Amino acid sequence: MKIKHTISKQDQETDNLSPQLESLRHNESGYKVPVGYFDALSPRIIDRINEKDNKVLSKSGILVFRKPVVWAPLMAVAVAAVLLIFIVPPKTNQIIPVYDELADINMAYDASYAEEVLLAESYNHDKEIEIAVNAIPVTTSVSESSDLTEDEIEEYLKDQDIEIEIITEY
Amino acid sequence: MPEYTDKELIELFHTADRKHYAFNLLVRKYREKIYYFVRRMVVTHDDADDVVQNIFIKVWNNLDSFREDSKFYTWLYRIAVNESLSFLKSKKLHSYLSLSSPEASMIRAVRDDNFFDGTEIQRRLREAIIRLPKKQQAVFNMRYYDDMSYDQMSEILGTSVGALKASYHFAVKKIEQSVTGI
Repeated sequence: MKIKHTISKQDQETDNLSPQLESLRHNESGYKVPVGYFDALSPRIIDRINEKDNKVLSKSGILVFRKPVVWAPLMAVAVAAVLLIFIVPPKTNQIIPVYDELADINMAYDASYAEEVLLAESYNHDKEIEIAVNAIPVTTSVSESSDLTEDEIEEYLKDQDIEIEIITEY
Repeated sequence: MPEYTDKELIELFHTADRKHYAFNLLVRKYREKIYYFVRRMVVTHDDADDVVQNIFIKVWNNLDSFREDSKFYTWLYRIAVNESLSFLKSKKLHSYLSLSSPEASMIRAVRDDNFFDGTEIQRRLREAIIRLPKKQQAVFNMRYYDDMSYDQMSEILGTSVGALKASYHFAVKKIEQSVTGI
């Protein structure tokens, strides 16, 4: 499309071109373009625009992570995790009891386990009795089957320096 | 293809489902005008192609915020001038690393350009324009090739009409000396 500009008479006078320059003025400047260049120009520009739009879109995802608001909390969590794993020493002597209710139930139905528990309980019971007997070492020469009178017993206790009141209260 | 005015095309661009269609029509309407302006500034086809694409991408990105207190054509041309001057500036910065000046490498490019088939006088004209200061080059090209009025040029370049007339006058004198050898 040819675009015409109106040049005033006054403007033309100021130009004052030599005849040679005037003759060249409206000739072609001698510049050529490759065949079909102008037809292909518009689609090429549109392609470049679309390419740039796509780049902007793909970059926007990366740009989100460039914002400190996004990466700072993530970084803080990562640093905290590293500190917990490598710097804070684990408490090795602390045994954390874990109560496994299901295991208890299963074991309750296990006959061998029940037997074991009973044996252990009876063993402990015997042991408790044994400990109690040992704790009060009573040396006696009096047999349980002997038929002693109360006076004989008291006399015996006196001989052993045991207070008779304690015995009678007990 | 239906003939739309710039205003109609911009309105069409603002409707979501017609955006690509309207933009395509705008590119088709101005592609040659903008391409040749840029090509005269940056000389080689490859450079011109890059700059033209950047210009229309800027149009796409900024047309939503385009205020219609100036004409679309003026706005588009302003982008074209700025993009071309920026390109030449960056080229000048790169040329500090090489031994030749940017003007010398551009003149070589005109001579070696496969996409230049002008006459000898046209080639000399091209070389004379390349030797002008860059803004004076823009003024000369807009006036000499694109027949633009000084008022329009003033709006595009943000320079007074008087300064533009003086700039063009000096450019013509330098070019006539180069072309005719006077």
